[in-house]
Amino acid sequence: MRLLDAELLASREILPGQWLQEYHAPWLAGGCRAGQFVHVRTPDYSGLVLRRPFSVNTVDRSTGTFSIHFRVTGQGSAWMSRARPGEQVPMLGPLGRPFEVAPGSHNLLLIAGGLGIAGVRALADEALEAGRRVTLLFGAAGAAQVYPTSLLPDEIEYVVATDDGSVGRRGFVTDLVPEYEAWADQAFACGPLPMLTALARLAGGRDARLGVARLGRKRGKAPAASAPGSKQARRKAWLQVSMEQNMGCAVGACLGCVVHGVEGPLRVCREGPVFAASELVWEAAS
Amino acid sequence: MSPARRGATKRPRTSDPYDGPRRRTAQTGTPAASRGAGVRPWAPPAPVVRAADVDLSVDLAPGRSGGLKLRNPILVASGTFGYGTEYAAVVDVQRLGAICCKGTTLRARFGNEPPRVTETPAGMLNSIGLQNAGVDAVIEKYAAQWATWQVPVIVNVAGESIEDYVEVVRRLDGVPGVAGIELNISCPNVGRGGLQFAVDREAAGAVTAAVRGATDLPLMVKLSPNVADVRAIAKAIEDAGADAISAINTLSGMAIDRVRRRPLLGNTYGGLSGPAIKPVALRIVYEVAQTVRVPIVAVGGVSGLDDVLDFLLAGASAVQVGTALFADPALPVRLIDELAAWCAGQGLASFRDLEGRALPAGRDRPSVKGAEYRP
Repeated sequence: MRLLDAELLASREILPGQWLQEYHAPWLAGGCRAGQFVHVRTPDYSGLVLRRPFSVNTVDRSTGTFSIHFRVTGQGSAWMSRARPGEQVPMLGPLGRPFEVAPGSHNLLLIAGGLGIAGVRALADEALEAGRRVTLLFGAAGAAQVYPTSLLPDEIEYVVATDDGSVGRRGFVTDLVPEYEAWADQAFACGPLPMLTALARLAGGRDARLGVARLGRKRGKAPAASAPGSKQARRKAWLQVSMEQNMGCAVGACLGCVVHGVEGPLRVCREGPVFAASELVWEAAS
Repeated sequence: MSPARRGATKRPRTSDPYDGPRRRTAQTGTPAASRGAGVRPWAPPAPVVRAADVDLSVDLAPGRSGGLKLRNPILVASGTFGYGTEYAAVVDVQRLGAICCKGTTLRARFGNEPPRVTETPAGMLNSIGLQNAGVDAVIEKYAAQWATWQVPVIVNVAGESIEDYVEVVRRLDGVPGVAGIELNISCPNVGRGGLQFAVDREAAGAVTAAVRGATDLPLMVKLSPNVADVRAIAKAIEDAGADAISAINTLSGMAIDRVRRRPLLGNTYGGLSGPAIKPVALRIVYEVAQTVRVPIVAVGGVSGLDDVLDFLLAGASAVQVGTALFADPALPVRLIDELAAWCAGQGLASFRDLEGRALPAGRDRPSVKGAEYRP
């Protein structure tokens, strides 16, 4: 974690109201992993007192650049969309804990709802680099909101579902998951809370449905639980989710960004933003 | 420039052995007098003080043996800086005047339903709900580390009954690493039907007196702005034996989620902080400074040196930085340097020369009446 200024290199509107910005910050790009985020300061402190958290979208270590993808939802993101190349933007990062892929996982299922693509996009690159196979399921309201294929690596399988059926399958992205759940060694999701809740339910019943053996587990005894937020807890989980919450400090001091965990409140900025789905309480969150 | 003046500047240095290169003795008298001259808007004093020589130290508990001596008057506010360890990677924590840690209660608390924070015009709302691990866990986890720090840690204490407060403070008393207590009295008093201690003069006095009896640690009490007349409460707290008063806690507020058509925060109500509340904090510090003699620690919307100066002039002895930390974690440390440089530029040997200068009769002649708030 470091406070630094990142230089905006390029900014473009890739979808209506959604922007992709590339920043130059070698130190940040060098130490950043998929699932982590940066806390970005907007210029006008007297009006906008909070920084804005953004998932790191893509990282290029060779050029020391990384990108973020966001939707204009208020004054802060509106300012960011107007920022010109060359502008120095104060950032704090990298923050939070990344996605953890188990060493034995070869087939990764990435599930993104709308802007949730920003949360899992970096993992596609990381997984391909490690020689894994990646399928990305993407859900959006309509064709106009579908993430462009040109921004994705060629090696991944890209499946789209839209609510109105204008592109790809008609329906929710969660409806596509059952076709892939047997293939996928692990799944990684980011998107609206109802989507994540549905996926968590699906993941909860997966072992029983598919008859997955629990190796190394003594009969009648639950496997030793890993501490919430620990690397092991996520690595073992079939489904990892990247959560979103209103955030204050982003370093774990203010306790503003908590979500309900099974064992008590968990800070999205410190224990998250990536959680094993089984660490979170979904009924209360939905 | 007049001929006479030009003549004066051309006067050979050797003619006046006291006329050193940075001292204009002929204009401002002896060097000693010019050093103590204070703020004189009509004649900017000579810059005879170096920033490094400015005395920034302040004692927040002058009446107590040992006191609560801070190296500078810039503190970080409770709830925004965790336990001092969270920001350690990006802030030189040891330079701060003091750290007010997250509110601590007798038993662990899960806090309020999320979402807990939201941005508002020039401020933010929070309703954390005093999430903490309980006083014993806090002592076990952090006290040993605090004891090795140069920076004093003031533990913020909250409770739902006087007994709660007393018990928490009793457990903190004598623990190495705990430099002082800040009482958060903006909690509902279960014994009196949930009325906040902070809005009730008798309850505020009673909880302060009870805690005073339980510890010899320096004791600071944090005022709530959500009251009709804060002066009576401040006086009761002072009379009950508090060493200092911090003002103010957050203002009660709320936000609406227009899409879902319901209150945005999980707890419905939240506390407003940030630049939006600075004028309110300033007014309360100004009022309280005319009412009590104990040091006042201003908190509320401090986001730059101007705010620090305003609060000092209104009668504060120190300030806490809170919400501004989230946007700029390096701000408190920068304020220390800026304050020293500013004082040096004004020829002030100590920042305390500013304290209360904006009060009607100066800080030395407190008037209960003062300049009152009349909407």
